[in-house]
Amino acid sequence: MTEQTRSALTPDVKAMIGVTGEVVEAWGVVDAEYLRRFTQALMDPDPRYWDEDFAKSSRYGEIIAPPIMVSYMSSRTPPYQEDPVTKAFQEDPMSDGIGRVSRHGELSPVPTNLVRVLNAGNELEIYKYPSIGDKIYFQHKYSDIRERVGRDGQPFLIITRETTFTNQKGEVLCITRASTIRR
Amino acid sequence: MAIELEALLKLPPEEILVHNEKPTAEQLRHKQQIYYDDVYEGMELPKYIYKPTPTHLFRWSAAIENFHRIHYDLDFGVNHDKNPSILVHGSWKQSVVPQYLKDWSLPNGWPWKARFDHRAMLVPGDILIMWGRVTSKFEKAGLGFVDLDIGMKTQDGVESMPGNATVVLPVRGGRDIPYPFVPPAD
Repeated sequence: MTEQTRSALTPDVKAMIGVTGEVVEAWGVVDAEYLRRFTQALMDPDPRYWDEDFAKSSRYGEIIAPPIMVSYMSSRTPPYQEDPVTKAFQEDPMSDGIGRVSRHGELSPVPTNLVRVLNAGNELEIYKYPSIGDKIYFQHKYSDIRERVGRDGQPFLIITRETTFTNQKGEVLCITRASTIRR
Repeated sequence: MAIELEALLKLPPEEILVHNEKPTAEQLRHKQQIYYDDVYEGMELPKYIYKPTPTHLFRWSAAIENFHRIHYDLDFGVNHDKNPSILVHGSWKQSVVPQYLKDWSLPNGWPWKARFDHRAMLVPGDILIMWGRVTSKFEKAGLGFVDLDIGMKTQDGVESMPGNATVVLPVRGGRDIPYPFVPPAD
């Protein structure tokens, strides 16, 4: 590796490890209708999600929701924000449908000139099922940034963003980690 | 007796579908507990078999409000992004994982954690097999920890989501698994 290629994990990049965003409240609450749509799309017919009498007799004592369901609440657009879909196509008629949406609680980008982004994997830790009526709070953090060297001899970064999801009682529901490769 | 994964992958695609072990609502309602004591290395979990259509993908996009066109706009996916078709969502695959672990550990076990990679582009018409296999187990603080290899293979045997997971199962005569789950201290 040359001096130039050795610089992927620069002091500025290293300084991002541990950087934590603000705690953000997701729009809305865990509700029965979102739960129905999510579990039907997931194709999980578990009666713990919809049969109140049965759910009461389960060890959880109530209707529960899939833990990962709340992770998608973090990307909801609050109704007071500009419509991101319209904005994306105004900026680029060939938009991929996502555009450059800025979201509450998002971390500052890692200062690297490696621009190609690839999914490197996911982790999930589950501690409690969400309940109907739960408010969801989430907080992002750069939990790890590592450097590796590709077969071509070029360094690349593996950036891991951890997100902790809690409810209104401060109980941790689940923690997700999404790792991306930056080449 | 359930067919083993390797044997399943040797079957013609339409025959693979016949061996779907994904439980119904009633089966989940009456699920009998698997105990730590009864689990052994190499034990296979039930195989969940899917054959997603464009409508399944559209429904998932709508449910999670993911508007990325590669999942529902065939023209964009093929001609702009040069994909073979619209693509099955990684988010759907990763949401199947906790469902799969939950179902296996019901009613009193706990699907604690999982990690997995996303590989291969999956498209409508692919047959997808969610699978799991016990790799090891250990008892700690009266709880039974079971490590698994997991993944989602295509009908051609391509592994699209290699990973592993840890599920906590009750030990016969042991204590209840705490809820909310609290892992024992190291």
